[in-house]
Amino acid sequence: MSKNLSDESDVRAATAPFQAEFPYERDEEAQVTRREFCNFLGLTSAALFVGAAGFAAKGALDARESVSLAAARIDGAETLGPNSSLNFHYPTERDSAILIRTADGAYHAYGQKCTHLSCPVYYARDHQRLECPCHEGAFDASTGDVLYGPPPRALDVIEVKTRDGQVWATGRTASTPKTRG
Amino acid sequence: MITDRRSKTGQTAVWQARLIMLVMINIAQLWILAATVDATLARNFSVLLPLVVASGICFAITLSIIKWWRPTSRRKTSSGYVREHDR
Repeated sequence: MSKNLSDESDVRAATAPFQAEFPYERDEEAQVTRREFCNFLGLTSAALFVGAAGFAAKGALDARESVSLAAARIDGAETLGPNSSLNFHYPTERDSAILIRTADGAYHAYGQKCTHLSCPVYYARDHQRLECPCHEGAFDASTGDVLYGPPPRALDVIEVKTRDGQVWATGRTASTPKTRG
Repeated sequence: MITDRRSKTGQTAVWQARLIMLVMINIAQLWILAATVDATLARNFSVLLPLVVASGICFAITLSIIKWWRPTSRRKTSSGYVREHDR
């Protein structure tokens, strides 16, 4: 019957030749050596490079994709009162969007992701504009253009049409950044 | 003995310099990654390639530091590692 003589649980196995041949302080085994730290930094560098390349590749691929979107009815839009908003999904269930009925009765719809860092925007009734709670950006409710804050471009615009009293989303277009100056 | 001590001090300095450089490069790459995310969300695609290239250059420098940039007293030759007092 084997008996565990040591109560140390976080000690690595003696794998290197010097560990088998020479005695060493077991407490120091838990410490990170400079060489290990250097290797860790090297791996971190590789991960950051792969992350940047992957993110850029995905962004570029998404930009090249051109899909024809099917029209979808927005449930509950007919009963939406002036100066209020309704959340829906378009074109897929993963793409959250916001429908706004402005005070003059017109419908406008936008992708709900803020163009800064993708926080969901909401309709601020008092100011009649779309606001992002994360970094205090704001968008025009009628056009989706940036009013102020860090967002670099306008919100994605969802085309809205009214047919037989029902409100339909018929397409979605992403804006391009405007040069500031 | 004095030469040995000097050599040891020099090696420590080189190790510290390597670590500092690696940490600085990591910080720069982190900043590049943040800029890449920002540019992608902003659909500012013209800057994506330069950012990825910059990150790649940082990674190449990191690799070169880890693989080849070592203290001279541990320089490997055909007859083994050269030491300060062997010269």
